[in-house]
Amino acid sequence: MAKKWSQLIRNWMTQRMDLPPDVMMDLPRITMVGQIHIYIENHRGLLAFSDREVRLLLEQGQLLVKGKAFVIKTILPEEILLEGKIDQVIYINE
Amino acid sequence: MKNQWINHFVGIVRVKVTGKGIERFLNQLTRKEILIWNVKRHGTEAITFQIKVTDVKKLRGPAREGECKIRFIERAGGPFFLRRVWTNSGFLFGAVAFLILFLILSNMVWGIEIKGASPATEYQVRKELDEMGVKIGKPHFTIENVDVIQKELTDKVKALTWVGVELQGTTYHFQVVEKEEPEKPELYDAQNLIAKKKATIVKMFVEEGEQVVAINDTVKKGQLLVSGLIGNEEEKKAVAARGEILGETWYRSQVELPLESTFQVFSGEERRKYYLNIANTEIPFWGFGEHKFKEFEIEANDHRLKLFKWELPITIGTRTIREREEVNRTYTEKEAIKKATDLARKDIKSQIPEDATIKGEEILHQSINNGKVKLSILFQIVEDIAEGQPIIQGDEE
Repeated sequence: MAKKWSQLIRNWMTQRMDLPPDVMMDLPRITMVGQIHIYIENHRGLLAFSDREVRLLLEQGQLLVKGKAFVIKTILPEEILLEGKIDQVIYINE
Repeated sequence: MKNQWINHFVGIVRVKVTGKGIERFLNQLTRKEILIWNVKRHGTEAITFQIKVTDVKKLRGPAREGECKIRFIERAGGPFFLRRVWTNSGFLFGAVAFLILFLILSNMVWGIEIKGASPATEYQVRKELDEMGVKIGKPHFTIENVDVIQKELTDKVKALTWVGVELQGTTYHFQVVEKEEPEKPELYDAQNLIAKKKATIVKMFVEEGEQVVAINDTVKKGQLLVSGLIGNEEEKKAVAARGEILGETWYRSQVELPLESTFQVFSGEERRKYYLNIANTEIPFWGFGEHKFKEFEIEANDHRLKLFKWELPITIGTRTIREREEVNRTYTEKEAIKKATDLARKDIKSQIPEDATIKGEEILHQSINNGKVKLSILFQIVEDIAEGQPIIQGDEE
């Protein structure tokens, strides 16, 4: 319950005070270059990786990237750069 | 994203991970701040990725904890490249050795060609060249300049009028022009022989013409010696008077010779230094150490290296440092007079024609003062005094 409360307060603060939501709320920031690159910041770890599917853990829920011929170009604790042909980016909520 | 090419200098290892829980393993690596890239999936249970060589040791911990096996499948960049170069160094050495060999061989004499010489002269020229060190197989930088060779050849081989020396690549080309005795023209115009200078006639040998003077006659310059008009009074015929009229003439020579003199001579001590001159930077490579000569002369000689037909910006320089000495020469009076007479004789010989001979000499005046010998010598010379003078046909009528 306490986590929910803090989330609500943060949500309210970002809206009222015009702060960047990705910093305030630990949301992923996803940059895509066409279908070939996807750059995800603020992830919480790699859950599954194959050449057709990448599953990342987020602060809230998971991110599923589907496509073809995936190669992780770089992976850092909070960032990942994925290359290949991206078909879908799906948020999975519990 | 960081530039990854810089990792090539450090060295890159491609790692293959097989087993279960590969994703967990990757997460562990990233948490340990190990940079990994180019992660690819191979089937269900294997992935490959690249890491820096320096990070290889850090793999150990996570690998033990998990259930996956690690294999290193490819090594590239920095140290690995160097090792490969080293193992294949034979090629590199071969290439370098080839270049060096080529450089040496292209700076050697490979041929000596002599053109335009008769066999006898050619043999002589070859012998002289041999002595000068121009031989097949000699490196160019031990050989004198083309100009020097040319000069020495013309000096030493008498039969040569001119010799063209050219270095084309590795071959010396000699273009020889031999002295040819000019054939005397058979036909002369009608002429008289007159005296070139004042002389007393010693010997006469008339081939054609009518002798006008006799032996022991003193003739003036321009006096008729042999007339070209022969025949009797009624019927005169103009011919080319020819012959040799040897006359005794006098030459005076004056010489001065100091009793004491100082000379600069080389003591024979010398040192050689070799330099490699690359783009105006001199690198000594043979003959180190300072010379201890007080007085010396340096002779510099540069030879440019060639590769195929190009001249390289590399020259091999030789510096020959010769010790110089001062030598005092002192003559006694007698010696000085003798020397001075020799000098005078030499001086006279350079003035008179080649076929003239010195018949006698007479010291006219001799004095020694201020440490100098002064001589005035009169030489008696026997030489051909005849000179042709054309007869103009109009004159006789």
